[in-house]
Amino acid sequence: MKFFSTILVQTNRNLQKTWPTQFMTLLTVSLSVLIFSFFFLIYTNMIKAGERLGDDLRLTIYLEEEPVMEMQSQLVRRITNFSPVEEIRFTSRQDAYNRLATQLGDNVDVLDDLDPSFLPPSIEVYPKKNLSNLAQIKRFSEYLATLPGAVKVQYGQEWVERFNYFTKLLQIIVILSGSLLILTTAFMVAYTIRLAVVARQAELEILRLLGATNGYIRTPFLIEGFLQGLLGSTLGLLALFFLFRWIQLRFTGPGILQLIEFTFFSPTIIGIIIAASITLCTGGSFSSMRKFMRI
Amino acid sequence: MDTQPANKSIVEIVRATKIYPPDVVALEDISLSITYGEMVFLTGMSGAGKTTLLKLICGIEHPDKGMVEVTGKDLNRIKGAEIPRLRQQIGMAYQDFKLLPDRTVAQNIAMAMEVSYQNIRTIKKRVIELLQKLRLEHKHNAFAGNLSRGEQQRVTIARAVANSPTLILADEPTGNLDSKTTKLVMELFEQCNISGTTIIIATHDESIYRKSENRVLELHSGQMVQPTDRTILTPENMP
Ligand SMILES: Nc1ncnc2c1ncn2[C@@H]1O[C@H](COP(=O)(O)OP(=O)(O)OP(=O)(O)O)[C@@H](O)[C@H]1O
Ligand SMILES: [Mg+2]
Repeated sequence: MKFFSTILVQTNRNLQKTWPTQFMTLLTVSLSVLIFSFFFLIYTNMIKAGERLGDDLRLTIYLEEEPVMEMQSQLVRRITNFSPVEEIRFTSRQDAYNRLATQLGDNVDVLDDLDPSFLPPSIEVYPKKNLSNLAQIKRFSEYLATLPGAVKVQYGQEWVERFNYFTKLLQIIVILSGSLLILTTAFMVAYTIRLAVVARQAELEILRLLGATNGYIRTPFLIEGFLQGLLGSTLGLLALFFLFRWIQLRFTGPGILQLIEFTFFSPTIIGIIIAASITLCTGGSFSSMRKFMRI
Repeated sequence: MDTQPANKSIVEIVRATKIYPPDVVALEDISLSITYGEMVFLTGMSGAGKTTLLKLICGIEHPDKGMVEVTGKDLNRIKGAEIPRLRQQIGMAYQDFKLLPDRTVAQNIAMAMEVSYQNIRTIKKRVIELLQKLRLEHKHNAFAGNLSRGEQQRVTIARAVANSPTLILADEPTGNLDSKTTKLVMELFEQCNISGTTIIIATHDESIYRKSENRVLELHSGQMVQPTDRTILTPENMP
């Protein structure tokens, strides 16, 4: 108790002395957290959207001939050899015709003059729902095209490729802004603590002469780092949350944002971001002290 | 608190030599032993090495040769965490005061007690008590930087005494004081001494030790002048 009250008094004194720099650092930390978590939020939402869209993703292999029973099982084996799939469905000429007929509904009479076997038979492959499969979808389709009897493989080629490209880009941005966050935060905090140490050099020297322990001298600086991390990341995340709510309210109604349902970070992710910031800031302050405080 | 075996010395210096770079011999071959509860005066001309000797005792400076032992601990071999613990037991009133000019008098004195995590209320009470004894109560909230030298001197003394240390080192504690205030300071030291604190006072103010019955050590350009050269009354050689 005595320890903590004394240390808190000491921390309070430090803050009073160096608050303009401390405030700037706090802003920098919040801003870095905001930038990073902004991109990270988009990224996580894209991945989630990818999963959801992946549900509808299927590759259709059009065949020359309707495969006989044993041919079918051979095809299934070759497909699953390449990649595990959710489901494989064979569509005969008749099935395709029936499906088209149901889709046409009342206009079914346009089919009257046509041979029910004019549609090609096909295999529909539903890949496992995850992004790594989505990324491999192109290779998968190329492989499927080499299957015996395959004429053409179709999937939302363009869409999948764009989506992949976009998530890759986002991944890079997230990594970059993450590194930025780490660098600026650790650097700024280390710098601020250094300033604080220099500003209090005379006091620290006297404290040492009076018999202050390392703990007594260092703990206030560590608490400062801790507070920077805690408050900085909380502010950054709060700002992001308000931005998020604003976008949500602004863009309600039909549109692309309806298609991709945006969600905010889960409490776990929020906790991890805050904990990481705290660790970074406290670590920055600790390393700075080791460098600039000779005890 | 350390145990204090009877007649054991709190300060034991054996053949200590201190040379400041490049070649200023501040102390040469000093041997000295001070018992628990003693009050000792350390005199000598300016530049004789008084401050240096006190700095060796509280571990701010280290001897180039010889050994310094305080409360039984060899300062050359003392480990990192033990230094603060030892310094909390030593109260030093510095010749150059070493106060923080932008803190109040009370805050400056409180620092000595805060480092050993004393209760805030205890600290407040002690600060007021000391300021009263030194007739400085009206300066409680004044910034140390705005005080006269004599006032700063008393603040540094109050800070040295505040944490009730086992050993008080006072470097020229009355250098800036008139005779009345000097008496106040000496009374404070005597009170501390009566309650068992060992005190070493470096001074050239003859008036404070002339009539004293305590031991007087004299330094002369870094060397200890042998007590036999002087006629001092110590309890041992009193007739
Ligand atoms: N940091 C230092 N570097 C170099 N020389 C020093 C240093 N400190 C003290 N000295 C020298 O060591 C000698 C002893 O100095 P010290 O301060 O111990 O004297 P003193 O007896 O306290 O003098 P005074 O009565 O004036 O305070 C002096 O010659 C001084 O110039
Ligand atoms: Mg001196």
